Amino acid sequence: MHIPDGFIDVKTAVATGAIAAVGLGFALSSVRRTLPPRRVPLLGLSAAFVFAAQMLNFPVAGGTSGHLIGAVLTAVLLGPSAAILVMSAVLILQCFMFADGGVTALGANMFNMALVAPVVGYGVYRLVDRIGGAGLRSRLCATAFASWCSTVAASIACAGQLAWSGTVAWGVAFPAMAGTHMLIAVGEALITTLVVAAVTRMRPELLLERSQSSLQARYRELIAYGLLVSLGLVVFVAPFASHWPDGLRKVAANLGFEQRAARASGLSSLLSDYTVPGIRSAELSIVIAGCLGTVMAFVLAYVLARLLTPQRDPGANTKPGGSSPLASSSS
Amino acid sequence: MNALEVQGLSYDYADGTPALKDVSFSMAEGERVGLIGPNGAGKSTLLLHLNGILPEHPASLPSVRVFGTSVAEPHLTAIRAQVGLLFQDPDDQLFCPSVWEDVAFGPQQLGLSGAKLSDRVARSLAQVGLSGYDERLPHHLSRGEKRRVCLAGLLACEACLLALDEPSSDLDPRGRRELKELLKKLPVTQIIATHDLELVVEICARVIVLDQGAVVAEGPTSSILNDESLMLAHGLDRPHILRHLHPH
Amino acid sequence: MHHPLLNTYQHQRSPIHRLPAAVKLVGATVFVFACLLLPRHGWTAFAVAGVALLLTAALSRIPALQLTRKLLWVEPFALGVALLSLLQTNGFQVFVFTLVKSTLCLFSMVLLSSTTRFSDILHVLWRARAPSLLVTTLALMHRYLFLLTDEIGRMLRARKSRTFSRGRLNVWRSSATVIAHLFVRTSERAERVYAAMCARGWKT
Repeated sequence: MHIPDGFIDVKTAVATGAIAAVGLGFALSSVRRTLPPRRVPLLGLSAAFVFAAQMLNFPVAGGTSGHLIGAVLTAVLLGPSAAILVMSAVLILQCFMFADGGVTALGANMFNMALVAPVVGYGVYRLVDRIGGAGLRSRLCATAFASWCSTVAASIACAGQLAWSGTVAWGVAFPAMAGTHMLIAVGEALITTLVVAAVTRMRPELLLERSQSSLQARYRELIAYGLLVSLGLVVFVAPFASHWPDGLRKVAANLGFEQRAARASGLSSLLSDYTVPGIRSAELSIVIAGCLGTVMAFVLAYVLARLLTPQRDPGANTKPGGSSPLASSSS
Repeated sequence: MNALEVQGLSYDYADGTPALKDVSFSMAEGERVGLIGPNGAGKSTLLLHLNGILPEHPASLPSVRVFGTSVAEPHLTAIRAQVGLLFQDPDDQLFCPSVWEDVAFGPQQLGLSGAKLSDRVARSLAQVGLSGYDERLPHHLSRGEKRRVCLAGLLACEACLLALDEPSSDLDPRGRRELKELLKKLPVTQIIATHDLELVVEICARVIVLDQGAVVAEGPTSSILNDESLMLAHGLDRPHILRHLHPH
Repeated sequence: MHHPLLNTYQHQRSPIHRLPAAVKLVGATVFVFACLLLPRHGWTAFAVAGVALLLTAALSRIPALQLTRKLLWVEPFALGVALLSLLQTNGFQVFVFTLVKSTLCLFSMVLLSSTTRFSDILHVLWRARAPSLLVTTLALMHRYLFLLTDEIGRMLRARKSRTFSRGRLNVWRSSATVIAHLFVRTSERAERVYAAMCARGWKT
């Protein structure tokens, strides 16, 4: 999902750059505050690890292969702030050493893959894990679903940036990016969950180590990141999503209740430049498809978690990270 | 004053397993001592105590003294300059982007800069025979070269006690020969933890045998290493070089 | 593991290689921004930019084949997204315009990455007072990049020698295990690197 130069215009580059810089700055100060000194080299080495892991091929179908992005993997293994820092480092390296992802698009790529992906992913992970009761199965289900959500969210942000730059019309970018990534995200979910399951088997204590901050501080952090991500999404996605209500309003009118849509007034005039050939009427179906896809993804995540967790008696001890001594897979 | 004095050093791993049991020995300045023993004997753990990396939480009574100074706060910064620890895997130790920067790392931490720093780095690289390697990147070096860069980094801190963890492991014969000559040349006190018994015979006058965390024997190299029953009892073997010299 | 892009540094001597990293970094960035600001019909401007890049490429003495290979390796995604741009008013114009701009920018960045060592770029960041934690992370990442990709390569080769069933599911599972192993080894190595840094007096 690395956007090259030339696809993002200057205003988008500046806006994404600013938000990404703030996010990274916040992550840096959070890490400095909470990470014990002996874990500092782990940041650089984890970045190298993510880079190396991204190079692995996961064969999909007929010659194509998928690759790990690693945002949620890093967030689960190291925490959200460290994940933001690690993913940012990887993107910076890829931009300047491999020309993979443009320098003007660095802000956008960082926003998508180093801010939206880990933050959305980690938020979903904690939520689902908490609801599921924090056992191994719930952790794996949370990991899978979070990875899926994070990839899709990042792709939507990407679509928004492309649309805001005038490169690709929103009506095309959104279904194309979100649609394809809903499928690609399944791969990310699968790989990430398999890796987390394997690490839990090998070294459960690696996952239990948490930074020294209190629960309150961690929630504060997550809320701050959440706000930043929301700000970005409001800027890049909301103006376009504001024409959903046209379709929804019809439904609302039919169902007889009021619909309040967040309309970015000034920007809606821009939308008249974007013709959405033949898709306008299908907006509603896109929204429905999106919701269905999300539900399906959750179900798949649950199924995967069940498959990866050995059968247990309902009343047995499920300490987080505990697992059966017999591995179900081996290299 | 002895270069190194270890008195009643004990250490347990995090899970409670004893790693070192009441280890005591000393080393005079300029000596080269071999630290030998089977895998898991605690050799690396012992070396990590010589510059204060272990124990993680300072003991009430420091058991290690280097040139009279206890290896404990507030002397740790000075100790770490004096004690040069060569890690088993040079890739763990060579963490800077270039050879020059890595050798300069130690002296920089000690406050050196400018021309003095460059001189120190150049001298250290020359000592290990790697002049001109300044701009080389670590991942382009051979294992032997990496080891020598790490050594240069320690010499650049003007270490007066070198603690070497398996310095000749996975070196090719040439690398091993070069290392041996280098260690012989260096006028610094050295304690060498190694499986390479031939190296011990060639350059160490004295050996300490460690097994399951305890010192089981100590003495001149030839008498210890010739004691076949002792060697076999502690997971070692009489080195061939001695068999050849003293056929029985 | 030989990734085609991992040998980016040409230890060549050329006027471009000798330029200070800061100059190249700023120059490339300014060039790219300038390309973004070019008007849609500014074909002369594009041509000038293109010629300037070709001249720089020639001066840098990097083999044309190498440069072309790098340009092509990253192009497919750009092409894919660009194709999407066709589906709007003035689509074709946007498409061509985007592709030309993108190629020029990419060429500039490829030249930058081929003539400038990443560690030099890090120095520039350091001198520009970038946050030290970020620079340290970038430096360590760069240092251990090749080591970890080698490790993963070795683990994959070991796995290949022991795998007899080629089912996709098996590949996924064992690839995931390889990644997990790598993470565990990386964590352990990070502890040792920390010890090595402390051993030489590193103060956090």
